[in-house]
Amino acid sequence: MSAFASFGAWAQRNRWIWAAIGVLILWLVLSVVTNRFSLSSLSGVMLSASFLTVVGVGQMFVVTTGRGNIDLSVASVITLSAFVALLTVKGQDANLAIGVIAAVVLGLAVGALNSLLIVGLGIPAIIATLATGYVLATATLLSNKAIPGFAVSPALKDLATGRISGVPIMAVIAIIGVAATSFVLRYTVFGQLLSAVGQNRTAARLAGIRNGPVIASAFVISSVLASLDGLLLGAYIGGAFLEMGQPYLLQSIAAVVLGGTLIFGGSATALGTLFASILLILIVTTMQIIGLPPGVQDIVQGIVVIFVLALAGRQALARRASVDLADGDKDATAKTEAGAATVLPK
Amino acid sequence: MSQLAVADQEVAMAVKPAAPARPSVVSLSGITKSFGPTLANAGIDLSVRAGDVIGLVGGNGAGKSTLMRILCGAMWPTLGAISFAGEEVAFAAYDTGEAQRRGIRMVHQELSLCANLSVAENFFLETPGDSASQPGWRALYRTRARAALDAVFPGNGIDADTEVGHLTIAERQMVEIARAAATPGVKLIVLDEPTSSLDLDRSKQLRAFIRERTKAGLAFIFISHKLQEIIDIATEVVVLRNGRTAWQGHAADASIGKLVQLMGGDANPVHQHAVATASSQDVLVRLSGPLTAALGRDIDIVRGEIVGLAGLEGSGQKELLHAIFSPDRKRHAGVSRRAEAGFIAGDRQKEGVFPLWSVLSNISIGALARRSALGLVSDRANRDTATGAAGKLRLDDKRFQSNITELSGGNQQKALVARALVADTPVILLDDPTRGVDIATKQDFYRLCNEVARGGRALVWHTTEDAELLACDRVLVFSGGRIVKELAGEAITEQAIVGASFAQSADGQASAAGKRTALAGFGRKLVNAAPFIGLATVLAIMVAINPAVASTFGLDLLLMPALSLVLVTAAQMFIVGGSEIDLGVGAFAGLVSVLSATLLYDQPSLGALALVAALAAYAGLGGVIQARKIPAIVVTLGASFIWVGIGYALQPTPGGASPDWLTALFGWSIGFMPTSIIMIVAVALIVLAVDRLPLGVVLRGFGNNPAAMIRSGWSPTRYALVRYLIAGLFAGAAGLSLTAINTASDINSGNSYTLLSVAAVVMGGCSLLGGIISPVGAVAGAVTLSLIGALLGTLSVSSDYNAATQGLILIALLTLRSLTADRRSEL
Repeated sequence: MSAFASFGAWAQRNRWIWAAIGVLILWLVLSVVTNRFSLSSLSGVMLSASFLTVVGVGQMFVVTTGRGNIDLSVASVITLSAFVALLTVKGQDANLAIGVIAAVVLGLAVGALNSLLIVGLGIPAIIATLATGYVLATATLLSNKAIPGFAVSPALKDLATGRISGVPIMAVIAIIGVAATSFVLRYTVFGQLLSAVGQNRTAARLAGIRNGPVIASAFVISSVLASLDGLLLGAYIGGAFLEMGQPYLLQSIAAVVLGGTLIFGGSATALGTLFASILLILIVTTMQIIGLPPGVQDIVQGIVVIFVLALAGRQALARRASVDLADGDKDATAKTEAGAATVLPK
Repeated sequence: MSQLAVADQEVAMAVKPAAPARPSVVSLSGITKSFGPTLANAGIDLSVRAGDVIGLVGGNGAGKSTLMRILCGAMWPTLGAISFAGEEVAFAAYDTGEAQRRGIRMVHQELSLCANLSVAENFFLETPGDSASQPGWRALYRTRARAALDAVFPGNGIDADTEVGHLTIAERQMVEIARAAATPGVKLIVLDEPTSSLDLDRSKQLRAFIRERTKAGLAFIFISHKLQEIIDIATEVVVLRNGRTAWQGHAADASIGKLVQLMGGDANPVHQHAVATASSQDVLVRLSGPLTAALGRDIDIVRGEIVGLAGLEGSGQKELLHAIFSPDRKRHAGVSRRAEAGFIAGDRQKEGVFPLWSVLSNISIGALARRSALGLVSDRANRDTATGAAGKLRLDDKRFQSNITELSGGNQQKALVARALVADTPVILLDDPTRGVDIATKQDFYRLCNEVARGGRALVWHTTEDAELLACDRVLVFSGGRIVKELAGEAITEQAIVGASFAQSADGQASAAGKRTALAGFGRKLVNAAPFIGLATVLAIMVAINPAVASTFGLDLLLMPALSLVLVTAAQMFIVGGSEIDLGVGAFAGLVSVLSATLLYDQPSLGALALVAALAAYAGLGGVIQARKIPAIVVTLGASFIWVGIGYALQPTPGGASPDWLTALFGWSIGFMPTSIIMIVAVALIVLAVDRLPLGVVLRGFGNNPAAMIRSGWSPTRYALVRYLIAGLFAGAAGLSLTAINTASDINSGNSYTLLSVAAVVMGGCSLLGGIISPVGAVAGAVTLSLIGALLGTLSVSSDYNAATQGLILIALLTLRSLTADRRSEL
């Protein structure tokens, strides 16, 4: 019994474990039910999941800044980046460096624009990234007309689709990225500041943290990762098409939430995002194996997101309640409001 | 305090012995409430009889608020019983609604009004049901509000049609008190600090009113930190201390000195510390300009001193602290700081703790915040720094790994002080740090303040307990946002502080606020007119280039496709009114379109059933979001996949057919007027009508101040369902219009509307924070956005630029709005 309880306490702090357990169970079930499911087919799932993980980790940074912040522009960034890659690399390995630089610059530019709107002008993140997405959609349409053809640089193609002794290179990249992100979150000052800002923005400001740069860097990281993801995804599918980034919007948010990152901000787990990405791709794969029509696949994905949120919502509620009750005396809030309503004379 | 004391004969009148056989209104017995290890209430008995005025006093954290929340049904006690007129009621069946039915009303400090609603509408929220469904209900509540305000505060001059947000704090407090007093069937009114923002005349009016009403058997509980008022008005006084009843007795037996002593307030803390002399090179903070105009000289805060900030609540003390913390050249030109500053917040949960973190992390962030973001964190180093600070505070370092929320208020406060200490800043700002903190911690705290100041730092200390100011070297007394008096050394007495606080409380505040609203109001008007100006411009350009556009047929051709977006926008507006965003509303319209073109066409009854089911599911979503407190954005995004998935499963490729009656519904014509314009105007009018109905008022109330709505007895889940049901009806109508206009359906036809509707709603002037709905503006915004494509076509610009134009318009508008709105620093 006590082992069970201590596992509960441990799982409370390491929320990624639930997604990992989910992956394990679903994989075992699939292996038993369909004899053809094996480690090698898992590596195929890993490959698809890697693309989701990269954009998911970026989304995770944004979600962790709190206030329900979400980056709605990732889908457009992925699509545009894939087109930009076609335009810059032109299928030549020699142009690869330019392509990578272009992708990074694109990510930086979109991230900077989002940050300007959100941090500089105080526009809610969802509206700001929505507006940016509109602008990028037009850029995508224009570049769609300009692309010379669907040629992919061989080196990039190797990177996106190749394997080292059976393990997809992309999976290795994703895992290294997740490890690096975990380190940043846990052992750098930036990781601590991000968590503080996400938990309680006012307290963070009063503790001396400059919230603006912290929030801005989260949006920049998200855009840059989405942009690099678009570059690789384009190489993986061998080109680019309009709306190719679209599925990654919901899935990236789903991966973040499913992985155990708190949707209210302040606590992130990169490992959870990785496992949740694998789980989501496994679910889609399962549905394909069963032969469900695409419409039903959409329905199941939607239900999974709502269901997980509804479950996680209770945890967050419990946490909120404990904070509320920590101070028995509500006089505090009332007085702050009264105080905030007056202004110093000009 | 002599200048404030009310004439003796009045006191005598108030405590005149009343008739012995008054019936009991409510009685609490053995109330105990624990929050984890702390007892907020411990075995408190309180009995209220008709005609009683119970003065409830106690320091912060003494348990007054907890007790009152239990009395009003907002919280259940751990132990204890409640009975009404001798009849015991189980707490399980007792909530805010039940408390109101039994005639208990509580006046909170200005928090319970919805600032976006008018005075009359706020009266409606408190007492709905009285012919609220009839036309002219507004006039009824207007009259009632006027009468109630005049009854309590003669000559108040408050217009019942004013938005509460435009009233001063004192006026809001008056509205709140009058609202509770006017409730039919009320038996007991709890007044929580009712006079904290009222001047002496209004306070006297209120007390006269209370005396008048007690004769008719109404009972009051009067909570105030102004003890002379308690002694003046109360028939009986209850003193709470550390969650227990410290004393209960007749007001005649109480005196201010006695009450202060009973509350545990150290009546005369020793003045322990004095700075030697202010040397000019050690000036850390300088205050000048209008802030210190009343003194006629600048104020310098130097190393080694403790400066107290005093005055009535909300007179500008907090603002000064924040101005010193983050000097803003434009707003506070008179405040300059020459060394780094740390901040210790007294409102721990809102401004202090990081609830997910351990005590150690909560302390060490103070040092981390001032390091490079790329630096590395080491637990060991953190622990070493924190241990030193914690030791000074007698904070046990064995508790470092506990979650901060598991600590008592006092220990949490110690952690926050430790955070400021590890930050090691020369200036430390304290915002009422001893609020809700036990005596022992307070003593540690005072000792530490002295030690820190003596170590060469400057402390600026805002406190709501005047007695604490006696520990300061200097006290700056605020009134109306300015420093009106500086007291030093022996001159610091409670009497001098209180006297100066009240001296000039009338001026300044109101005029500054007035100017600000006028300026912001003008800017806002300009931005609000933007969708109309935009629409007019777009139409003018198109007519100029192609005059045929101005014909009935031409307008119809242009505007008919806008109808669907207008309907989706109407749906989105109700969601945004509840400070949420629906990312699935377009997909839902697409689903309804598919259902109507397939099932409804083939099997009308089954189709109708499916439509009803879809609507129910959509409304249910709202219920889930509210009940589980989960972010609507993600849930509705998930739901959009469900809607699209269902539609896709039903109809993999575009097709189907529109039922004849549906086509006819959208296809009629009366000749001289374009049908589309009539329908768009009709949609705007319907939304406007719903918004003006009592239902609309309730929905807007929830958008602005859900806590207040719940306190007034409204069910949040029910109204979340209603909100989403209304939105679903509009989105459903949009789906039907899509089918009728296209005479076929496509599950993807509604997708683009989701984001456009958000843009239209924002353009129209609705606040994303909720509570502000502007139907006409949003409709104009929707029409403008849907015309962008046609406009670009007329200008022979590729339709590829459609989305970018829409996005840029949205960005431009939001930028304009953020520049004109008075944005409080949120970051």
